[in-house]
Amino acid sequence: MRKLLAILVCKALRIAGKLVGKGSSLPGKYALKLCPDILRRVELPRHIIAVTGSNGKTSTVEMIAAILRAGGKTVVYNEEGSNQIEGVTTLVLSHASLSGKVRADVLLIESDERYAARSFRFFHPTAFVITNLYRDQLTRNGHPEWVYDAILPAIHPETTLVLNADDPLSACFARGGNAVKWFGLEQCAVSQSAPSGVYHDGAHCPVCRAPMTYDYAHYNHIGAYRCAACGHARPTPDYAATAVDLDGGSLTLDGGVTVQLAFRSIYNVYNILAAYAVCRETGVAAETAAETISGYVLKNGRVQTFRLGNHRGTLLTSKHENSIAYDTNLRYVTSAKADCAVLVIVDAVSRKYFTSETSWLWDIDFDLLAAPHVKRVILSGAYSNDLAQRFSFSAVKNWTVIPDIATAAAALREDGSEDVYVITCFSDRDKLLAHVEKEG
Amino acid sequence: MEVKLIHFYPDLMNLYGSYANLSVLRRALETMGSTVTVETVQPGQDVDLADADFLFMGAGTERAQKAALADFLRFGESVRAAAADGCAMLFCGTAMELLGKTITDAEGRTYEGIGLASFISVQGKKRFVEDVYGHTALYDAPVVGFMNKCSLLSGVETPLLTAVDLGFGNEGKGGAEGFLRNNVMGSHLTGPLLAKNPRMLDAVLAAIYARRGEPLPPLPRDAYAEAGFSVTTEQLKQRCK
Repeated sequence: MRKLLAILVCKALRIAGKLVGKGSSLPGKYALKLCPDILRRVELPRHIIAVTGSNGKTSTVEMIAAILRAGGKTVVYNEEGSNQIEGVTTLVLSHASLSGKVRADVLLIESDERYAARSFRFFHPTAFVITNLYRDQLTRNGHPEWVYDAILPAIHPETTLVLNADDPLSACFARGGNAVKWFGLEQCAVSQSAPSGVYHDGAHCPVCRAPMTYDYAHYNHIGAYRCAACGHARPTPDYAATAVDLDGGSLTLDGGVTVQLAFRSIYNVYNILAAYAVCRETGVAAETAAETISGYVLKNGRVQTFRLGNHRGTLLTSKHENSIAYDTNLRYVTSAKADCAVLVIVDAVSRKYFTSETSWLWDIDFDLLAAPHVKRVILSGAYSNDLAQRFSFSAVKNWTVIPDIATAAAALREDGSEDVYVITCFSDRDKLLAHVEKEG
Repeated sequence: MEVKLIHFYPDLMNLYGSYANLSVLRRALETMGSTVTVETVQPGQDVDLADADFLFMGAGTERAQKAALADFLRFGESVRAAAADGCAMLFCGTAMELLGKTITDAEGRTYEGIGLASFISVQGKKRFVEDVYGHTALYDAPVVGFMNKCSLLSGVETPLLTAVDLGFGNEGKGGAEGFLRNNVMGSHLTGPLLAKNPRMLDAVLAAIYARRGEPLPPLPRDAYAEAGFSVTTEQLKQRCK
């Protein structure tokens, strides 16, 4: 009875919420109050795929849904990204029949890394994709090992883990004895001989703390690590990207199928790889996956193109408080060959809460902008002084500070026609987009 | 003059941009006309602390901290001697806890610190996270920063921050934060404490010159650091109300 009531209330609130444009966690919240173990009492699809990790969750989930649907499977997933237990409850109950059966082949969940254990108390994923664990949002997460410890209790012994072979920390999840399918990028054109970046999170083994060595690295500390002391080392991937051509925009999976990259970033490569791996595990053919993802433009729009005067602009959304997200976008700018200007904006550190925390700026490898085609760098926003102090310790010389974002945009508009890259966060992107002509 | 800075475990204890403390210190010393060498110490590596002017260790994860401690114990005697001699030091975040008597982890295991001070640290499963606005006896200006720690420290008799108006102190909400004795500083304020607080950097510079018996040259001013400090101070002051 409580189960039926919870389902009815959730469905009603969901419909009402959609009418008034309210978020998707409230109906689940009330359903959980009526029936706290409702998620145990419903009949879930045969495949339950969860995705967590520091970076790439939303993009990976979106691509998984697209591939599975192309493979003829019906998928229920939280497109709005409300990824705590309340949002998951809303998702499940709004798609359940009144008897509590979720009619779909796959339930797909983007799960907040710190709250996964709460979400999975009453059911567990059949496949759990963990994209990576990086320094992300110190203000919420502390450090990656803390997040590792928070995810650990969410892992059920019967869950198959889909793990990033190239990330030394998230690879440790395999140590619990679960079935594991690995995805990874083989040594290829983008590989470097050693890790890069301001800090080296692969210098010491996450298991035993002895020094680790690298056969090669793809970016930062992601690559082929090896600990001589305890044997923790990159496993051979079950699903591998065997060649990557970021200039030409193509990716080869498992030596056979080719994917055209809509966005030529190493990030995109890993997100595709994670999606490909779990979809293959769910029974989708490699060719179907590759065809679906080829040229796939993400709906969640982390990249926005625009015009600003005579400039062609690209906004690269980079999570503040996440140095690897920044590094990846800076690397994208470095790899572009045409003359460009770069605008870096730090105005509100977070869109969700107040903080003046800017230590993460010191973790970003701004030296990547010390390239001949980067003609000028403009630093803007309330924390432009912190940015300037940081840049004064970088190899970049041609930077100026224009604290007001509108003034910075006007300065670019009035002068020159080179490409413009804007590097900033969700919290600040609209402050710039208000002053440009958006495209696409 | 020639100044020697020691950086303990730069890769193991490398969280939150801690290294920037050394970057700003080094540049300031060079601007003041000193020649600076930075010697890094990896676990197992030897170092002579006798002629060091500044010892530094950054913040690390709780597990990295235990690995650092296991190696750092062999320096206990020489670090205590350097401290007694007035050597300037900064130990950030979890590194600060190594200076104390004991560290107890979240599972209840207790580790001996180097016993430079008598405080004890107890780690838990909850993190204390907030911006920090506080005061120090070193100078007449606020101290700003951010904190994200899972430890409570008790028994600190001489704190670095005498009080915090916003954020957490050694023993929980409010109160005093960090450690200061002679020229030894420890703080759970995240990352580049000296980059964020120009007056704190001045205090370290003054301590280094004083110990060497050298007259203090005019202190360098970084306009961006000053302006950044003002912005953060204004924002945090509003939060205190």
